[in-house]
Amino acid sequence: MVHIKLFGLLRLDTGLKELDAEASTVAQLYPILLAEARRVKPATKVTAKDIDGCTVMINGKQGRKSSRLKDGDQVLLMSPVCGG
Amino acid sequence: MATKYGGYMGKVVLLDLSTRTAEDYPWTDEDREKYIGGKIMAAKVLSDHLTGKEQPFSEENWIVISTGPLTGTGAPSSSRFDLSCLSPQTGILTSSNCGGSFGYYLKKAGIDALILKGRCEKHTWLEIDNGRFIFHDADADGLWGLRTTEGQEKLESLLTAKWGARRAFGKLMIGPGGENLVLYSAVLSGERAAGRAGVGAVFGWKNLKAVSVTGNHEVKVYDPVKNEKWNRKWFKYLRKHPLTGNQLPRLGTAGLVSAMQMRGILATKNYSAGRYEKFEFVNGETLAEEHNIVNKGCLTCPIKCARTVEVQGRKVKGPELETLVLLGGGICNHDLEKILLWNAELDELGLDTISCASTIAYAMEANEKGLWDNGLVFGKTEGITELFDDIAHRRGIGAELAEGSRRLSKKYGGEDFAIQSKGLELAAYEPRRAVGQGLGYAVSNRGGCHLNGGYLVILEGLGLNTNPLTPHAKADFTMLFQDLMEMISATGQCLFTSYAFFPGFLITRPGGIVTRIANAAIPFIGWALRFMNKFPLALELHLPVFHQTKGMCYAVGMKMTFGKYIRCGERGYTLDRWVSTRFGIRAKDDSLPKRLTDVPQDPSDPKTRVPLEQMKKTYYRARGWTQDGVPTERTLKKLGIL
Repeated sequence: MVHIKLFGLLRLDTGLKELDAEASTVAQLYPILLAEARRVKPATKVTAKDIDGCTVMINGKQGRKSSRLKDGDQVLLMSPVCGG
Repeated sequence: MATKYGGYMGKVVLLDLSTRTAEDYPWTDEDREKYIGGKIMAAKVLSDHLTGKEQPFSEENWIVISTGPLTGTGAPSSSRFDLSCLSPQTGILTSSNCGGSFGYYLKKAGIDALILKGRCEKHTWLEIDNGRFIFHDADADGLWGLRTTEGQEKLESLLTAKWGARRAFGKLMIGPGGENLVLYSAVLSGERAAGRAGVGAVFGWKNLKAVSVTGNHEVKVYDPVKNEKWNRKWFKYLRKHPLTGNQLPRLGTAGLVSAMQMRGILATKNYSAGRYEKFEFVNGETLAEEHNIVNKGCLTCPIKCARTVEVQGRKVKGPELETLVLLGGGICNHDLEKILLWNAELDELGLDTISCASTIAYAMEANEKGLWDNGLVFGKTEGITELFDDIAHRRGIGAELAEGSRRLSKKYGGEDFAIQSKGLELAAYEPRRAVGQGLGYAVSNRGGCHLNGGYLVILEGLGLNTNPLTPHAKADFTMLFQDLMEMISATGQCLFTSYAFFPGFLITRPGGIVTRIANAAIPFIGWALRFMNKFPLALELHLPVFHQTKGMCYAVGMKMTFGKYIRCGERGYTLDRWVSTRFGIRAKDDSLPKRLTDVPQDPSDPKTRVPLEQMKKTYYRARGWTQDGVPTERTLKKLGIL
């Protein structure tokens, strides 16, 4: 089981702040997230592509879509931001 | 003084506050072509006036309030104006840029720029009505001593009583901070602030509490039909762009906190770290979810990044990223409600939130290290609200904190962790994991400013995702971005319009092939940038992602191209620097505290520090300055300054 936290517009658009899921790679999390988002917020316009575009951190370190996960990992997903 | 160009009113006024007399300041179309408006125009006026011997608190320190040619033309996000003068905080030229509506109303009064010289004999507020200047007694009218919201409400009631009806007008107001010459005091205009480098204190020294401006002049544009059509297209582009049309309106700049945490550039505990473990309590998402945000914006702005938030039953202005970070992790505070209330309080007192927060963080660390027994402790937030009031009124320890971190570190020690450059405290981006941003802070004309420094962090993790630790090409990009932003400010536009310069897919598809190629290529294209920076006039073209150049053609009637645009920005940036060199600024002043240059953020990775000296050499070469940071005569001639 890994713990996922969402940030940026992804969080506002899915209505999801955090959740737990079973997955052995980051990529496996995406369909789970999408399904959960559609359950919580049926009108969500978030697509798989949007989730795919997110920055990933695993246990405080930069991760990627292909990164492997193990039990107890914490995954942060952040939609891209810029400027300030 | 009439002008052939659109967008200008054709009038610059020199107002002597000592004698209460006004005269036209000579400003020709040739000046408009070379120095455009806003901060570049102000740099030219001040360059012609300042010799290097003037003091910030003196009658010889002129304040230039200047607009850009796009203000009032309907161009998007074009209502900004600049307040420029010698800064009491840095001792050199500064320009503080502000949104709101004052610039628009100054033009409605028939004035492109107002230069204030001398000093009012007593506490005064100034009314400008269609080019007439009326001086009022700020004591008799009960304005002096008021906080900024109460002061602005009072100003409105005074004018409404005088006019017999409510009329729209622009206003400037200092708070107790400016009145008491706090070195980092701000000038407020509505809810917007010209916050940085202490322009409020210069107003205070001149005994000028407030300025109101109104009028019924019309801002004429060069080609109304093409201008309107182009602006429609421009608005549409900004509204569709993922940054200016989605992220900034919905999360504001506060939306960057989480991204900065992930990149390790979130200034924490006085910049001793780049990540704050409790960032989730004080990020933009939590702000959006818990405080019922309502968007607000400046005139003609489609982005509307400003916001009103609810806290403890009050509606207050929402904090910008810098305030959220520096009053949050910067002092180890994770109480968001306190930050919201402090942000409002600092605006009421007329203090710069960045410098104030950073000075307090320095004081906390000085106390922790036993250098200065001041009772301030990281994470201890009781009494901070009262401390702000003490700073604004220069009471007790507040009188010392009112001097800023540079002066305090000279007195108590700890210059290595006084996080400032040229006397101006840095913004919230910890540069050891964004080294180009570190270079920008150091070489920025007005001191440790993220925007005047070129905002390279947009390439280094907040936007694109090029290697943030490599110095390669960073100097060349710094120069290009500084020049672009200099010019955008000069035209009267908001810098946020420039973020749409990056095609949307580069932002939303960071894993896409084009984005990955761009990120990988950037460190290797310094040579191309160098060529572009050296010969910008070779770029006689308009870029489809950069609407500003055609905007200038249609609204103003200047034959503007991307190359000319960059060259104008370069002229302004170099002119500003040239003036500051008269006040002794050299390469040694383009510095950062040793914490950022000598101590790696990650002890196991020596690359996580700013390799400043290496980048500075390339930067000076690219700019055509000596290795001591002085623009050469050849460069000044090339730019038409000499």
